[in-house]
Amino acid sequence: MSLSLAAVMVLVALAATACGSNKSSSSKNPTTATSSGNSGGVVNGGNEGRSYSTLRVTWDQPDYMDPGLAYTVAAWQILWNVYGGLLGYKHAGGSGGATLVPYLASSLPKITNGGKTYNFTLRKGLKYSNGQAVKASDFPYTIERDFKMDSPGVGFFSAIKGVSGANGYAATKKGHISGIKANDATGKITITLDHPEADFAAILATEFAAFVPTGTPASDQSAKGGPPADGPYMVKAYNATRSFTVVRNPQFQASKIPTVPRGNPDKVVGKIITDPTAAMETVLNGQSDYDFQPIPNDRLATIQKQHGSQLKIYTPADMYYIFLNNRIAPFNNIKARQAVEYGLDRQAMVQFFGGLGQPTQNLLPPNYPQYKKTSAYTYDMNKAKSLAKASGTTGQSVTVYGVNTDPSKSVVEYVASQLTKMGWKANVKLLAHGVYFTTIGNQATKAQAGYADWYQDYPNPIDWFDTLWNGNRITQTHNNNYGNVDVPSINKEIERLKATPTTTPAQNSAWAKIDNELVVKYATTVPYINRSGTDFFSPKMDMSCYQFHVLYQWDFSTSCQK
Amino acid sequence: MTVETGTQVSEDSFAAIAAAAGDEGDVVGRSPWALAWRRLRRNKVALAFLVLFIIICVCCALAPLYAHHIAHTGPNDNHVGEFLKEGNKKIPIISQGGIKIVNGQTKFTPGGVPIGPQWFSAGGRFVLGADTNGRDIAVRLLYGGINSLKIGIGSSLICTFIAIVLSLLAAYYGGIVDFLIARFYDLIWAFPVLLLAIALGTALSINGFHHFGITIAAGSLWIPTLVISYVLIPYVGRPLRGQLLSLREKEFVEAAVAQGAGPFRIMFGELLPNVSSTVLVFFTLIIANNILTEAGLSFLGAGVQPPNPSWGTLIADGQDRISTAPWLAITPGIAIVLTVLALNVFGDGLRDALDPRARVRIEH
Repeated sequence: MSLSLAAVMVLVALAATACGSNKSSSSKNPTTATSSGNSGGVVNGGNEGRSYSTLRVTWDQPDYMDPGLAYTVAAWQILWNVYGGLLGYKHAGGSGGATLVPYLASSLPKITNGGKTYNFTLRKGLKYSNGQAVKASDFPYTIERDFKMDSPGVGFFSAIKGVSGANGYAATKKGHISGIKANDATGKITITLDHPEADFAAILATEFAAFVPTGTPASDQSAKGGPPADGPYMVKAYNATRSFTVVRNPQFQASKIPTVPRGNPDKVVGKIITDPTAAMETVLNGQSDYDFQPIPNDRLATIQKQHGSQLKIYTPADMYYIFLNNRIAPFNNIKARQAVEYGLDRQAMVQFFGGLGQPTQNLLPPNYPQYKKTSAYTYDMNKAKSLAKASGTTGQSVTVYGVNTDPSKSVVEYVASQLTKMGWKANVKLLAHGVYFTTIGNQATKAQAGYADWYQDYPNPIDWFDTLWNGNRITQTHNNNYGNVDVPSINKEIERLKATPTTTPAQNSAWAKIDNELVVKYATTVPYINRSGTDFFSPKMDMSCYQFHVLYQWDFSTSCQK
Repeated sequence: MTVETGTQVSEDSFAAIAAAAGDEGDVVGRSPWALAWRRLRRNKVALAFLVLFIIICVCCALAPLYAHHIAHTGPNDNHVGEFLKEGNKKIPIISQGGIKIVNGQTKFTPGGVPIGPQWFSAGGRFVLGADTNGRDIAVRLLYGGINSLKIGIGSSLICTFIAIVLSLLAAYYGGIVDFLIARFYDLIWAFPVLLLAIALGTALSINGFHHFGITIAAGSLWIPTLVISYVLIPYVGRPLRGQLLSLREKEFVEAAVAQGAGPFRIMFGELLPNVSSTVLVFFTLIIANNILTEAGLSFLGAGVQPPNPSWGTLIADGQDRISTAPWLAITPGIAIVLTVLALNVFGDGLRDALDPRARVRIEH
């Protein structure tokens, strides 16, 4: 049976934010209009051709400059314009940004074999920044290189035939992945899956599937500025803690990849500053044109008042939550978990983020078509106390884990304080960001509760529910399901929905039901905020060009200067 | 120098003779402690700073009373989402912001800024304002002082005790015992104090200590106390060992040995009293040093663990808001400065009072 990719395209398009325009407020206005994207889905075309010399930016520290390893927004926001795969996202704001388009492939895939085979043909005449030709065989090499490097993205490719199992490529890392066939002469690439995967096209658009030339060492190439690029830009210089320079890729021909814009700045000079106050100062004192870091809470009001026209508030698809370990006491007891749901004041918790966010009781962000607002819990400490008492677990010790910097630190201290009010002996354990998620994702830690957040890898509910709450995917280490949520009926439903395109209203409702049941019926997790962020620019920048992408956030390639 | 020293000696002697000869005409001997106390009493600055230190200790000790009867909140009680009533006014303890949809438009209002110092306008509540969790800074400052002083004094006691015992053993037994203890001092001495303390503090504060049948929970105040005690042992032990090795060769020790005194009596009955003034001065000065070390460790997250306050953690909490709410970091900073200054000035005065050579030097 041949399936049209249109269904998948519709899904991801719908999954994008659908909020309206983002006009900034006047500098005297006490409030700032927010944006969840650029002007209602206006595509980059409006900004194209406004080239300028140099964009100076202040950035957070990217984890890697190698597409096989990078897994942070700070890295992806740069690499999106440097590396491309067979598919990618439209350079557009608003919901248009969630539309999958062919990048290196000549067209969207032809899906056959009941959704198990994806057929692509590579565009002709493409070259990497080092002048080497882009070949079809670079694709299997790229995926195999990911496995050889233990890339954090290899889990996405587990459905490809020949990857999983005792003799699969993931285990042996020898030979080749049998499910990927590439023909350099014809440019044809065929990918065969073990079973249909509704989100596989979106997976192919992640940076982990971005092409690198065959022969690229299977080790981190960040220090060399990453592997040769196939996108409109290339990383010319990179110092992991200090700076980076991105310049135009001389081999990139916009005419050959019409879905990828050539970009406006000729050069991007980045300064890496992790302290938000120091980063903000670089824009205020004219050293930088853009501040990636969030404006510190105590400076938001001043910046908004004095530089409101240069400030953009955006809402990415994210969700912050408190995980409760469903396997161990006291939160293996549903009444104890319900107590926490009632005992945390979500509106108050928004203040830890400077007011930049909206309280939520949903696991999915509101800009998903599967989102159906949940309002089951109203803050009620008395009810929380009685539920905690009814659970018979009060008096037990609870350790709440968190990252040792704000907002996590404040959130975790608040949660511990509330748990103490409910009757538990709560204490706090704060860890450095670099080790935090590995620690709580290790079953040996036996983390009872803690701080967590999730930003989408691609706009699909599978990226949320399957990754974070599918009990079948609980692992001993590197576990993303920190609360060990394992509800058999929900696991089964996730598996069912994973295997089918999720475009029908019925299937969207099924995802919404899972969202509701995990929070209301089983009280497995305590979602509390959909956090917003800030983009702060110098007066040199033309804010009418501001384009916020649903996945990669601010798109520097579409920026303009006055 | 001879004349001036002589003048001082004769002043002391005349005073003693005059006092003693008042009624009976006999010369009354004064113990070294009495003489030291007399000299200390003359040092008004040292005494003033001793009083200051006592006041700081008393204020901190009264923290529970202040928290319960005046501030009406505990050191770790959050007040996020609550309001403070001042007359008819309701002031949010943490400013309320958020993103709202008004007339179809999404609007953002900044929030999350804690209330500033209320001094005495709120009946003693939030005198120094609140932190990001809406906790009363004044209450946390006092409780933080308790923790800082507990760790400072406790670690000084432990450190000094261990240093005394080891140095006495080294001096009395000499030989291999002295060699081993001296190398132990050298080993710890070789590490930079703060780095060693950070390494130990970080490792232990995450998982606690569970060895040799001893269990100390992560987050316990015992962890920074013991870590600081351990890293500073050679700083007390090395000079003590030097003095004791010298005393070990004195005639009074030989006399005690000749009288059949055992090791315990010689160590604690003969040697220790002769270094007691040094120990006392070291103890005073090392409290100040240990309070500073604790503040450093807590600032870096390797000392007192949140949500418990200490002056170091309070500075760390306030550093992010140094430009808009400087009092959050400055008030615990001032508390540390005053405490350390008080202890150092008093310690200097004590040293001058107990050490005759220092007296000569100062009086010149």
